[in-house]
This record gives sequence, structure tokens and C-alpha cells, in this order.
Amino acid sequence: MEILVLIKQVPDDSVEVKLDPATGAPNLNGVEAVVNAFDTYALEMAKRYIEDNGGNVTVATIGDDDATAALRTCLAVGAGKAFLIKDASFAGSDTTAKAYILSKAVAKIEEINGAKFDIIFCGKEATDFSKGMVGVQLASELGVGVATDVIAVNPAEGGVTVKQETETGYNVIDLATPCVVTIQKPDYDPRYPTIKTKMAARKATINEITAADLAVDAAKVGEAGSLTKVLKLYEPPKKQAGVKIQEETVADSTMRALAMIAEAKVL
Amino acid sequence: MNFHFNEEEQEILNMLHDYAVKEVAPRAHEIDEEEKFPMEARNGLAEMGMMGMYFPEEYGGAGLSYLSYIAVCEELAVHCATTSVVLSAHESLCSWPIYKYGSEDQKKKYLTALASGEKLGAFGLTEPGAGTDAAMQKTVAKDEGDHWVLNGSKVFITNAQYADIFVVFAMVYRDDYKERPYTNKDISAFIIEKGFEGFSVQGHEMKMGIRGSSTCSLYFDNCIVPKENLLGEQGKGFKVAMTTLDGGRIGIAAQAIGIAQAAINETVAYTKERVQFGKPIWKFQNTQFQLADMQAKVDAARLLVYRAAQAKQDGEPHSHLAAMAKLVASETASDVSRRCVQLVGGNGYSREYPFERHMRDAKITEIYEGTSEVQRMVIAGWLGATK
Amino acid sequence: MDFAEYKDVLVVLELDEGKPVNVSLENIAAAKSVANGGKVIAVTVCENAAKAAIEYGADSAIVIEGAQFEAYNADAVADAVAQIAAEVKPAAIFTGATGKGKDLVPRIAAKLATGSVCDATGVKLDEAGNIVFTVPAYGGTILTDVVIDSVRPQVASIRGGSVQKLEPEAGKAGDIAKKAITVADDQIKLQIKEAVKEIAESVNLEEAEVIVAGGRGMGSKENFDKLQELADILGGVVGCTRPAMESGWISRAHQVGQSGKIVAPKVYFAFGISGATQHVSGMIGSGYIIAVNKDEDAPIFDVADVGIVGGATEVLDIMIEEFKKNK
Repeated sequence: MEILVLIKQVPDDSVEVKLDPATGAPNLNGVEAVVNAFDTYALEMAKRYIEDNGGNVTVATIGDDDATAALRTCLAVGAGKAFLIKDASFAGSDTTAKAYILSKAVAKIEEINGAKFDIIFCGKEATDFSKGMVGVQLASELGVGVATDVIAVNPAEGGVTVKQETETGYNVIDLATPCVVTIQKPDYDPRYPTIKTKMAARKATINEITAADLAVDAAKVGEAGSLTKVLKLYEPPKKQAGVKIQEETVADSTMRALAMIAEAKVL
Repeated sequence: MNFHFNEEEQEILNMLHDYAVKEVAPRAHEIDEEEKFPMEARNGLAEMGMMGMYFPEEYGGAGLSYLSYIAVCEELAVHCATTSVVLSAHESLCSWPIYKYGSEDQKKKYLTALASGEKLGAFGLTEPGAGTDAAMQKTVAKDEGDHWVLNGSKVFITNAQYADIFVVFAMVYRDDYKERPYTNKDISAFIIEKGFEGFSVQGHEMKMGIRGSSTCSLYFDNCIVPKENLLGEQGKGFKVAMTTLDGGRIGIAAQAIGIAQAAINETVAYTKERVQFGKPIWKFQNTQFQLADMQAKVDAARLLVYRAAQAKQDGEPHSHLAAMAKLVASETASDVSRRCVQLVGGNGYSREYPFERHMRDAKITEIYEGTSEVQRMVIAGWLGATK
Repeated sequence: MDFAEYKDVLVVLELDEGKPVNVSLENIAAAKSVANGGKVIAVTVCENAAKAAIEYGADSAIVIEGAQFEAYNADAVADAVAQIAAEVKPAAIFTGATGKGKDLVPRIAAKLATGSVCDATGVKLDEAGNIVFTVPAYGGTILTDVVIDSVRPQVASIRGGSVQKLEPEAGKAGDIAKKAITVADDQIKLQIKEAVKEIAESVNLEEAEVIVAGGRGMGSKENFDKLQELADILGGVVGCTRPAMESGWISRAHQVGQSGKIVAPKVYFAFGISGATQHVSGMIGSGYIIAVNKDEDAPIFDVADVGIVGGATEVLDIMIEEFKKNK
């Protein structure tokens, strides 16, 4: 099986990102760039898939030179090859434009690899702007099937059987390959790199692909190719803090709180 | 002297930091409270290739610098002092002497398994009646022609219960030992495997700090040891032990710095949050000045530790440097962690917070792998011989 | 594209045992608020659900008929909605931001070659008649306003609890048009072999007046279970944070926050919840917030009306006793 894992580099989601009042943009100073958490699950699932069934994992991202760090991180935990899809004209692309770019990139990478992809793994959403649509839109561009919120992928006759998490349980879905799956957190964590894989990843080649390589239609990428526009970013309204009670004993604190709740007549 | 890590080493250290934050730190409290051996970290570090990182790749290591290994000991201790000593006992005290003094066959057989992390190592020198005074060892190895027979016991052995391979020391039996008592020149080193006939690990020491590390006694009751398991030359065991401890001390000194840095980091964070008299107690000059002093001391100690590590890496004499590093780092750790408990106050003394654990963990660094008094002896010995 | 032709708003109903789920009813209210003179049309495969939608404010409904819709299939439904949209030319299409809804929105948008928005927490009209969607970013610490101003329809999933549903009007009249639809075979690429229901309980956090929520600070499943007792006394529903759900103390149907539901009860109890933005963004709209945490610096106290510094289980035990007495 030939597997492509699409990833995105995002600001560390364990840090609370606030707006910078001076610029009106998110203040990312000192916030480390990491591989989007759902993409790390996708890569781990892809890696386990080829460990069990044989095959290769290629990883790719749209980004600038900074994103090579994310690709190297992926190379250290299971990806065999990495592609950076990079072009100044791609800046400002929304999910529609990104899906278009990725569809072209898939074809190009297949040409370079000399093999068609059977499964394309994406994280179910990114932790920065959690849109969660690129995977489905890409599948549509490619004219292939897609399942979302996937927590397990297994080989089946003519394709794969996937387990999709639902609000109340799960669905078992058959998909013909090639196909796209978007990955929800499974019940395991991504592996850690080892010293050896980390050192090998440092030395590995990151293949670069540009707009010219892809022969994209300039009207369909970047802001021009985007169908959604972000008007502004702002902070959610704050709530005024009330009273914090810390009496001698917890029982006293609780009784005082109960008195206040009774007085507020909310129950 | 320049202690910069190259890009590659820095990435490895970042990777270890990441692992330690996610996997080691969250278990530190439980490991201490329940006296639980950090098996997850032992396995995790093995998978990452950290269990023999500075040994050559041909023996299962990663060929990294000794300094970066020391930085790993330090980083682990920031998050969990117990986990740090599991690594350093394994790597400095068991793997290193096999690497340094072992035959090619011994290296292939034992070092490869240790460095890859498949097997865990331990070191046995101390006996009930022979701590600092190694010449008082009662463990005896008798040459029985095609094998050795060991009798005796060892105490306070780190990693003992979970170790697979042990480097231990014994007096090689002489008929005339009554007339001419054993001296350091009779000591030899041996490689013992878990499961050797007549060898057992018993007891579990209840300790003040590093409570998750396994500290037990080793018993040799007519223990049969293959002839080829003599490590280094016969009668040169004392040198094996002392040079091994020179390296071990740098690891312990790094552990001490890690503990001290953790205490400072947590105290700064705590005092910034804790409000008294209408402002965070961090805002009081006493808090700031004390922590500033502490940080300066820790950094001074860190430089000593890195210098000793660099000297060892460069093959320069480093006994005295290791002794100075451990002396200063361990006493700094004890001092800093104690003062941090005081700055935090009641919560510093509470077992719900990590401060008192730092204080208990710090104390051992003044004791094991040579007490502070032993370090002073080593330093004075060097002074007397060279000045 | 002449936007004037695109007037109505389609709401694709999500069903649970033949009834529209709560967020679908909220979608009708959201649709009405931005319909701008157009009609709100519910789209569903079930006639009873269509009737319910009309009672909750939809002007009319389209009931999709066809063998391909007997069991839910995202490819089939997306194609059917796209076929209807091609005919009706709606200004917008809404779904709930549930797993199904979020899956459906990009499928529909891709078929119609239009723009889509995922997980909106608010909708309003701008002067030009575009819908301005509020979409949280960075776990809810930042909000963005997003528009789709060059194409129609505007396809979006809207999160549960972010818009209040309307009061139902029993027996309200409204056109229900049945429409037989066939989806081309090559458009159906996935087959659901089995749908397994693991969570049997129905949890209605969005409509609860009282929510008794717990986080990691509850310490154990046994302690966590006591929250139900207080919820029962107060006629409330139990909520949880993501860590509590991940610890296996309660099912994800109870989760409040960025990756769960947005709630706005009259009273919200937060036991052993530190107050990470991911959680707070889902409950900040609550009328009265009571927080209990042993860490006096926990950020939850910044949004609480009443905060108690103390162990969550200890306070919970006392509250259970006291509320029992007063009952």
C-alpha cells in the first residue's frame, strides 16, 4: 500500500494563543511550531498500517521553509519520504484552494514516486483554525471516496474497512481505494522518535514542489482562489469574576457559597 | 571552554525534553509516593536509544558525546530524579566499565545488550562493612580452574531488582589471606548475569528520597561465574571501580543540578501565583534575591559539571574535576531545595507539592557514589600531589 | 452569479430515531435570523421530522424519498441536498456541527463548487446580505468573522448551543413537498456496513437548565459518579471536560467545550475543573457559574460568580447533603 499523509504545521496547542493588540493578529511569539496533533495520529495510524500490511508512507505539507521542521519530525516517526509544497502564490489559500493545490500535488508526487497512492490520510482538523474540511474537499477534487472521524483503518477486498467515530458509537465503513480518510484520535498515542531516526531525519532530503511544478491555475490558489474570507479576528467577550471563597474550613466555604447561591435565587 | 551542543545534539536534547515533559514528569509524584520503579521510562528511554547514547554504534550505542549524555541525566532529573539515577547507574556504572575494560567478546555480549537498552545494568561495590573503605571487602572470588566461585554480599545496589547485568567487585582468594590481609590490589571486577547459579537479589531498601529507584542487596552463595567474566585484569578491580566512579560522579552531579533547577523553576512559578499582603510573593525582594543567588550557584555548579564531562570526553585527567563537580553540585542541590521549601512555606512542606520531594531527592546526591567527604579526599589528594 | 436569485435557507435535519436532533432545531432559528426575506426550508428524509421542523419555525420542508436514503449515507445525502440546492438556489445551507454535519458540509459545498464554513458559533447578516459566521480559532481563545461573499450558497455547520431554538408552535401549517431523488451510483463511494451504538443514553446538555460538570480534579470514576446525585437533586444534567471523558469516567456525549457542546444553562457547577479555554469557551454563556477547585489560582475562578477554594469531592458531598435537606 502506498500511503500519503498530509500534515500541517501549527502553533503548539498546549499554549493559549492570544491576540496581539498591536497587530490584531494572533501573538505567536515564543509559541513553538509543531505538527498538528490530529496529523500525528494520522501518521501513526498510517505507519501501523504499513507495519502490518507492507507499503510506504510519504508525508507532505503546504507551507514555507519553516515547515521543513514539521516534515523532519514526521520523518523521524515513520514517514519514508517528505514533500514540501511551497509557493508564495499559495499564501492566503482557504480550504477550497488548498484542496485544489493538494490534488495537483498528489498527482505530482505520484509521478515522482512512480506509484499511485492507495490511501491519503489527513488529520480530522487542525488545532489552530479547526476547519476540518480539506480532506473531504480533496477527495472531491480527486473524485475518490472519503470517510471522516476515522479511528481505525484495515485492509479489505478492493479497498479498506474503516471505523468511524460517531456521537453515539461507531460506524464500520467500506471504501474502495484510492480514498481519503480523516483521522480522529485513536486509543493510542503517536510513537516517539529515537536517536537513530532523529539523526536520519536530519540528513534526509526534503523534496520541494512549487506552483510551476504543479501547473496550477493561478486564479484557483491563494486569496484569489479562496471562497471564504476572514474579516477580522477578535477575543471572545470576557466575564467578570465573582467572589472567591476560602474560609477556615471547606465546610464553612461551602455553606457561605450556598447562602450566596440561595440569595441569587438562581435555583 | 565552550559547552555548546551542536545542532544534532540539541535536537536530541529537545526530543528528550519533550519526552520527559510528557512521560516522565507526570509520573514523578506517583513514583515517589508509591516507591514504584519507573518501568515506563526505562522502556521508553530504551526505545529512544538513550540507554547507551555515548557508546559507539557498533556496540548498540548512538555515538553521541559524553557531554550530551550528562545533559540527558540533568534533564531527566529536572522531571524525576529517580528516573535520572536509573539511567546513570545503568550507563555510567555498568555499561561504561565494560566498554572501557571489557574484552571484545564481553563488549559484544554485554555492552550491546546494555547500550540498546534491551538489558538493564547495575554496579556492586559497597558492602555492609566496606563502603568508602573498599579494601575491607568481604566478597571473595575463588579460582576453581574452569570457573570462579563467588561468596559474599553487596548492599545499596541501584537498579538491583530490575537489572540483568551486574558489574561487581570481589577479592580474589589467596591461601595466605590470614597472614597477609587483602588489599585493594586483590580486588577484581566480574560481570554477573541475573540467573547465575548462587546469585540472588534480596531486600528492598526503604529510602528517604529517589524512592522509586530499586535499591537492594546482592547475595553470592557459591555463585558460579564463567572464567571469561572477569572484567579487566585480575587484581586491577580497584582501578576499574575508581575510574568508573569518576564518571558516575559526573552523572550524579548532573542529577543534582537537575533537581536544583527543578526546585528553582517550580518555586519561581509558585511565588508568582501565591499572593500575600496584596501581591505575589515573587514581588518581595527576599524572594527574588534568594532565587537569584540560588540560580547563580546552580549555574556555577553546572559549569563545573560540564567541564568535568568535557575533560572525560577529551580523555583528560578528570578524577578531581568529577569530585569537585559532585561536591559543589550536590551541596548546591541540598541547599537550594531546602531554601525553596522555605520560600514556598506550608505548601513547600506538603507532599501534594514537589518541593519536599526535591529536598529529599537532593540529599542522596551528597551520599552515593562517594560522599561529599570522599570528594574532598579526592580533591585534597590531587592538591597534595600537584601543588 | 446573481445573488438576488439565491434567497432561501436550507436546513438539513439530522435525525435521532425519527426526530430532528436539538441542534437541527437551533439551525432553523439560526436560518430564520439570516433569511433576509427568504424562506427557511427544512430538508429531511422523514415526514414526521419535517412536521417538527415546521413547528419549530421552518416555513416549509422537502422530504427526500428514495431507496438510497433508507439508511444514512453521507455521499447519498450530500448529493441529494446538492440536487435540491441546484433547483431551489438557496442563499445558504446549514447543518449542525455534529460529526455528521461537519462531514456533510464540505461534501455539499464541493458538489456545488461553493464555499463552506465549519463549526460556526454565531451567524448574522452584514450590510451586503452576506452571512457573517463567527468561527472560533486556537481552541476558542480567538474568534474570527468569516464570510462567503463571492459565491452562493453559503454552506455551514453551526455548533449546538450557539443559537437558541424557537418555541414550537403546535400544528403550524407549512408546505411539505415530497421529492423522489436518485443519486448516480458513481456518486456513492462509501458503504456503511454497520452502525454501532455504544452510548445508549440521550444527553441533552444544550437544553439543561442546570449542569453539574466535573473535570480531572474529581480524581476517580467513583467520585465523578457522585455528580449525578447532585444533578438528580437539582433536576440537572452531568457535564464533563475532555480529560474527564478521556479518563473514561463518562461518555463523550457529556463533554462541554471546544470539542464538545456549547452550553448556556441557568446554573453551571464546575467541580474540579481548572478552566482551560477549551472548556470555558463552551460554558461561558451560562447564567450563573459556581466553581470548586482546590487550586486557588485555577483560571475557572476568573469566570465564576461564586468560587469555592477546596477539594471538589468534599464540597460536593456537603452540597448534596444541604440540597437534600432543602428539598
